[in-house]
Amino acid sequence: MPERRIRFSRGFAAWYAGGALLLLGMALWLYLMGDYSRIPLPAALFLLMLVATLLSATREEPSRLAAYLALICGYLLIAVELPLQSGLPALWVGLPPVLTLLLLPLGPAMLLNLALTPVWLSLLGNGELDRPMLLSYLTLVIVAALVPWEQVRQHALLRATDPRDPECPAVERDTLHERLLSEAERASLLEQPLAVLLVHLPQLEMAGEQFGAQARQALLNGFCQAVDRCCREHDILGREGPGDFWLVLPDTTESGALLVQQRLDQVVAQTTLVETGQMQVRRRLCRPRLGESWQRFEQRLQAVSQSLADG
Amino acid sequence: MQTKYKVGLLRGNLLLAALLLATLALATTALTEALLLWLAATWLAITALLLAFNHRRPATVPWQLLPGLLLAALLWLEPGQHITWLWAWAVLVMLPQPRWLLLLEALLAVTTWWPLRDLLGLEQWALTGLLLAALMLLGLSRALDLRALRQQTLQRARLVPGLPLWPGTRLSRDLAVERARSHRQGVHAELLLLHTPRHRCWTLAHRLCRLTHRFEPCYRLDATTLAVILTSRGRREAEARRQALWHHLEIRGPGRATALPDLVSLDNERQALARQAAGLQTSGEAVDA
Repeated sequence: MPERRIRFSRGFAAWYAGGALLLLGMALWLYLMGDYSRIPLPAALFLLMLVATLLSATREEPSRLAAYLALICGYLLIAVELPLQSGLPALWVGLPPVLTLLLLPLGPAMLLNLALTPVWLSLLGNGELDRPMLLSYLTLVIVAALVPWEQVRQHALLRATDPRDPECPAVERDTLHERLLSEAERASLLEQPLAVLLVHLPQLEMAGEQFGAQARQALLNGFCQAVDRCCREHDILGREGPGDFWLVLPDTTESGALLVQQRLDQVVAQTTLVETGQMQVRRRLCRPRLGESWQRFEQRLQAVSQSLADG
Repeated sequence: MQTKYKVGLLRGNLLLAALLLATLALATTALTEALLLWLAATWLAITALLLAFNHRRPATVPWQLLPGLLLAALLWLEPGQHITWLWAWAVLVMLPQPRWLLLLEALLAVTTWWPLRDLLGLEQWALTGLLLAALMLLGLSRALDLRALRQQTLQRARLVPGLPLWPGTRLSRDLAVERARSHRQGVHAELLLLHTPRHRCWTLAHRLCRLTHRFEPCYRLDATTLAVILTSRGRREAEARRQALWHHLEIRGPGRATALPDLVSLDNERQALARQAAGLQTSGEAVDA
């Protein structure tokens, strides 16, 4: 996942760099043409784009500030240069909203586009209201927004349907509860035992605060690998909270579960990470009591998980 | 199921877009353009009404082709009047879509930009082309992000939020896990493959998920095949459950059950299902007959 983000951010950085080069080219062109009064704008914007390039090249996340800087450059260039061009205003009025939609997330982009409607129309229509142009501008803004909407929808859909936690290979919370319920149902129907091992990682919060996201990720990965080494393929590791994990052990008797717990202790004791040192876990074993309803069992699990987190 | 995504807002945006396109259609005088705009408006309005929150996709022709073709037709017919729409190409490449469609869209963008030379004059024409190319690259880089995420996730994501309906890619791994597990527990597990009519596949999938136990995962292998792993205490109970399930689902096509220990490979079973006549068969019986 982080690799993907870095590649994504580099793509943006390359794009900003391209924009900066274009602006530099424009300034040189104006210099060669002897049009000295128009040079300061592209020269200044070139510097802004350079800042945007550096901002997005040095960060892992796509930088919002860089996007705004690029947007300001685009706006200024369009606003100053367009009235000079004698061409079709209908062509150029479509450029700023599309640029906004491409650079910003949907919400801010729509606000900005709608708020700037009078600005673009008066700039390009020489102060008079051009009805057809207003209509086509608004239609473009509204229709083009459907594409980012589709992206938002796809993102939400992926998040809602992905059984995995976004940060580690464990199962995410809703799926965990669903799997726990289904395993409890299976255990009662087939008369099989069931055990749940509750684990809390006390170092996780501290690792994130003191050593940054990478140390936190390393801790999560190390823990998931440790669990992976000491459980079977149909055991379910789920993430109940940021540092709280539930390991659901279907068809496992108490002695079997104690064995898993012991193995986990051994593996964890052997795991030492560079920044956080030896990995620590707090864990407790829970089994459904005779005649206990599933809801009561789940509530008990949550209470025990909470008490583990509190120390 | 909590999602931060607001269906109502998207539906509103779709309807508003349809309305604006209809207004634009009323304002144009030429018949073909008005027809194109009406078509677009109707499409958006219908989409707004049919909007569903699942991974349902049309099988053969991707819908992303339609907006691309509409846009191209509009720009070819009357570039002077609808030239504002030229920039929409940059947004259109942001859609999640197959690679060949991206290439086609790039090609269409070039063919709509090329004839503008007379209209714009050489200098502005070149500038427009350059800017459009840059914006399309930006749109593409935004699309790539989602594309990578989709490719990773679609293999393992459920097909409908909140429903234990999984893609067929998971089945072979789950079969191996379930086979080992049921063998150790001494319970009877079987794979049931169902052939459904294309138009009833999703409704039957929903019904299948409701009729089976929560711990029995359902799979959609392709547009006409559903699969489920049934777990029962013994062979006799499995037989009864299978018959009841078959009765409640009201499928008239072929169906095929195989006990997991007898299963050779999933592909074999699917081929056998394709050759088989309508009705429910178990693979053991087929060997006897």
